[in-house]
Amino acid sequence: MSVHVFGIRHHGPGSARSLRQALASLAPDILLVEGPPEGDGLLPLVTSPQMQPPVALLIYRPDQPAQTAVYPFALFSPEWQAITYALQQGIPVQFMDLPQAQVMALAESPALAEPLALEETPPDGETAVVQDPLRWLAEAAGDSDGETWWERMVEQRQHSDDLFTAILEAMTALRQSAIPLDSPWQRQEQWREAAMRQTIRAAQRAGYGRIAVVCGAWHAPVLADMPASAQADRDLLKGLAKVKVAATWIPWSYSRLTAASGYGAGVTSPRWYEHLWHHPQEAVYHWCVAAAHLLRGEGFVASTAQVIDTARLTHTLSAVRHLPTPGLRELLDAVQTTLAAGQSAPMLLVQRQLIVGNAMGAVPPEAPTVPLQQDLTAWQKRLRLPVTETAKSYDLDLRQPNDLARSHLWHRLRLLDIPWGQPGQAGRAKGTFHEVWRVQWQPELAVRVVETAVWGNTVAEAAAARAVDLAQKTTELPALTGLAQQVLLADLPAAAAAVVARLESLAALTRDTAVLMDTLPELAHILRYGNVRQTDADMVAQVVDGIVPRICIGLPGACLSLNDEAAGAMNGRLGRVAEAIHLLQKNAHLTAWQETIRKLAAQAGLPGLLAGHCCRMLFDAGVEERTETARRMSFALSPANEPAQAAAWLDGFLRGSGRGSGVLLLHDAALWQIVDQWLGSLAATAFQAQLPLLRRTFASFPAAERRQMGEQARRGRPQTATMFAPDHVDMTHVPLALAVAAQLLGLEAQGVTDG
Amino acid sequence: MSTILREHAETQFADELSALAQADERPRPPNWRLSPQTVALYLLGGTLPDGTAISPKYIGSRRLIEIAIATLATERALLLLGVPGTAKSWVSEHLAAAISGDSTRLVQGTAGTPEEAIRYGWNYARLLAEGPTPAALVPSPIMRAMQQGTIARIEELTRIPADVQDSLITVLSEKSLPIPELGQEVQAVKGFNVIATANDRDRGVNELSSALKRRFNTVILPLPDTADAEVEIVRLRVAALGQVLELPAEPPALAEIRRIVTIFRELRGGVTADGKSKIKSPSGTLSTAEAISVVVGGLSLAAHYGDGVLRSHDMAAGLLGAVVKDPVQDRLVWQEYLETVVKERDGWKDLYRACREVTG
Repeated sequence: MSVHVFGIRHHGPGSARSLRQALASLAPDILLVEGPPEGDGLLPLVTSPQMQPPVALLIYRPDQPAQTAVYPFALFSPEWQAITYALQQGIPVQFMDLPQAQVMALAESPALAEPLALEETPPDGETAVVQDPLRWLAEAAGDSDGETWWERMVEQRQHSDDLFTAILEAMTALRQSAIPLDSPWQRQEQWREAAMRQTIRAAQRAGYGRIAVVCGAWHAPVLADMPASAQADRDLLKGLAKVKVAATWIPWSYSRLTAASGYGAGVTSPRWYEHLWHHPQEAVYHWCVAAAHLLRGEGFVASTAQVIDTARLTHTLSAVRHLPTPGLRELLDAVQTTLAAGQSAPMLLVQRQLIVGNAMGAVPPEAPTVPLQQDLTAWQKRLRLPVTETAKSYDLDLRQPNDLARSHLWHRLRLLDIPWGQPGQAGRAKGTFHEVWRVQWQPELAVRVVETAVWGNTVAEAAAARAVDLAQKTTELPALTGLAQQVLLADLPAAAAAVVARLESLAALTRDTAVLMDTLPELAHILRYGNVRQTDADMVAQVVDGIVPRICIGLPGACLSLNDEAAGAMNGRLGRVAEAIHLLQKNAHLTAWQETIRKLAAQAGLPGLLAGHCCRMLFDAGVEERTETARRMSFALSPANEPAQAAAWLDGFLRGSGRGSGVLLLHDAALWQIVDQWLGSLAATAFQAQLPLLRRTFASFPAAERRQMGEQARRGRPQTATMFAPDHVDMTHVPLALAVAAQLLGLEAQGVTDG
Repeated sequence: MSTILREHAETQFADELSALAQADERPRPPNWRLSPQTVALYLLGGTLPDGTAISPKYIGSRRLIEIAIATLATERALLLLGVPGTAKSWVSEHLAAAISGDSTRLVQGTAGTPEEAIRYGWNYARLLAEGPTPAALVPSPIMRAMQQGTIARIEELTRIPADVQDSLITVLSEKSLPIPELGQEVQAVKGFNVIATANDRDRGVNELSSALKRRFNTVILPLPDTADAEVEIVRLRVAALGQVLELPAEPPALAEIRRIVTIFRELRGGVTADGKSKIKSPSGTLSTAEAISVVVGGLSLAAHYGDGVLRSHDMAAGLLGAVVKDPVQDRLVWQEYLETVVKERDGWKDLYRACREVTG
């Protein structure tokens, strides 16, 4: 009876290859792997043809799906290879770690808070030894970087004799010299190692002769040299609480395998490791060719001759640096120098595609899934939406049922905070029945799906439940309006009713007219284009019916005592609300609004900008006659008024809240006269003071209009028609020209010549 | 002391080179004086087992120097690229000195560089008297380097007209130089290679043809990463130059160098050293080489007209000249910088006053 402990680093092609060789020569009759025993039932799926690493074992609490644990595996992970070996050989394989049911329970238990009894306390600066044991070994070997050192010593090693013995010895020495630390993490390690030992003992009791144990190198010493008595471990593990957990496989990706993504046992170069795994002898050549292909696609020459040069430089560089085989650093330097002509920008691409890589795994359909995920998968299949990590754009035509359903699905997922699809920009510009979506799946979204499973068992149910919950918590009207729009777009009628009801009560309570004014345009938009979306917008109409009168009542008060900046903001709102009210096409609203504007225009103390804008709106809507407008203008521009106030009035009148047009001034002699007189009456200093504002007003007009205005101003009187002096008219040509003109105007040619 | 104004690298550092050659036990590529590792040691500096100190020639990325040396050990030529004043020629000279013991096989690229400078020319008196004979041939530095298996250097490769540049293609790919007039060719001896330099700042240069480009490995020499590295470069070079020029002045205080380097880095980067305020950048490169010449110029002023100690007014004129390349735009940039940054900074009052005096 013998126990063989193989200490590995998670995700290392060299470790994986050496492990396969070692297992083949050992021919164990049982394999124990570091990992949660809850995953035991899922192990047979590893050899399923549909299983494509990188994948991760996900352990979650069905009652609190936000609490999850993830164990990622790549093709080149030693554990993965060991499990594959065991399954192919038909020997039993099981995980041996502390069950996650207990780990998750520990997180809540007070046991974790009890400090360890330590004999010494570590001096400052030595704390890193437990977290990064490799760095210590590397430093002992005279290398600064643990990752590079391990890669050179272990991952790129071609001959693996005694590798695991050496690792075991190194780690034993390291653990003996390392000063124990006290941290919750460290305490958890105690339980974990006890659990591993207990699993090994159980296997021994079951009568297995050659037990192979695969674990992280750090744990190897305490598993290889177990105390004879199991009493201590039994005591430690006794009485640990448990929670209910479930396990499943989820697809993972290379980018999530990197340490940069926040994964503790992450590696820096998954894609490079994949090359090393597939072509242990010639990884350099394969990788150089891959780099050349990538750069060719980006417009670099990258000829075969250059690939040869790259490979040669790689070898020379490793010789200059005293390395037995070229590493990633040599490859990168060589590619930058030869293929990329010294530039560093293309290397970012190489880094992303060929070092990290964008591969994404897949799991067999029979892997257990949470109900929400099952529903999502069903939708993905029904709507023919492939799940890829590459971004893709969809231009949806919402008149098509299939496209509409896709839009609903993405909107629902957004409500669940699963941003698989992101709405694009072109929506409104291209017409209301178009939606542009940018769709990109990310593996962490699979985790989000599990986390949000608590809201319901189908996408629609969960989205509705979450929306209602959000609505109850929201106290800001604009945020709630946004939510209402989202819910309507997601076609969730039940949730919409709840959200709109909440919107109505909140709108009623809101004292701030400005907030109501900000809300209305959004709601008007929903209402106006609701039919196209086939969403029932009657409920919204009810809210709008309540909001418009409130605005009309509150507006005069809201426009009092505003400074310039506030007046500018209010001016913008006036314009948007007016637009929204026109959009609503409801006479009652329009009348009430115009009445309010008329009141407002006459209000004393109104900022000039708003007064001018109101006057213009009344004029444009045809509510007031031209003479009345001229009276208001002449009143506002009377010399008794402050020049600043008058200039602001003119700005409001001519520009409104958007880009103005001077046509009105050009064609209305009376208005022109008033402006002209006012400008003429200004004192030189007052004129200078108002010049910037005037300039801003007039600068917004089209160049042609400005030129015409300039000419008109020079002549000193309005001119509506160009002067025509019939000095030299060739009367023989007149009938011909008249005939053509008549044809253009669609008149009877005959009638004209007769006349 | 020698009367030569500036010695070649192999003469100036002859002691270091011979000590290195003696201590070097690693395999050397054919016709190399030193092994690649020892060449790197020569350039980057260090200490030999017997205690001989090797001064650093290039302060910067070890990685780049290793790539450059590894390139020369393959059959590809080396192209050093960078803005003016990033030690391209300096590195190329020292590489040639360390590898071949001879940095004088040099072609200076200009708009008027003829093909003869790259291939060969003729001694016309002999040509007329004897006809085309090997004795009438005047070999170019490249041809000599090929015959002797040494490193040839081409300065400012992109200034050479495109058709002349392309005559390098045969040399670099076939490693031979045909002489049709004699019905002969010169075949390169092992150890031959080419180091070219080019700057990527100037406009109106002759871009390399892609056929030629692919025969070069490109190493881009950057401006120094950190202020400390740049201060170190300026300090070492000023000390060396001061010796060469036999300036009686005291070596400049580190603080003074640091001020110059700070000004250069701030103006170059367009942001103050603390990263808090944005400033305009002048049109010039403001390279480390220019910082060195400002300090050396200041030293010379201090030695001959001052009290022998480098003071701010000794450097003000040099600074103005280095920063203000465009008389209108750059002057505004400089004045703005003086008023907003230099004036406010603690302990920079003297420099501010000196600069104001010169700038007017």
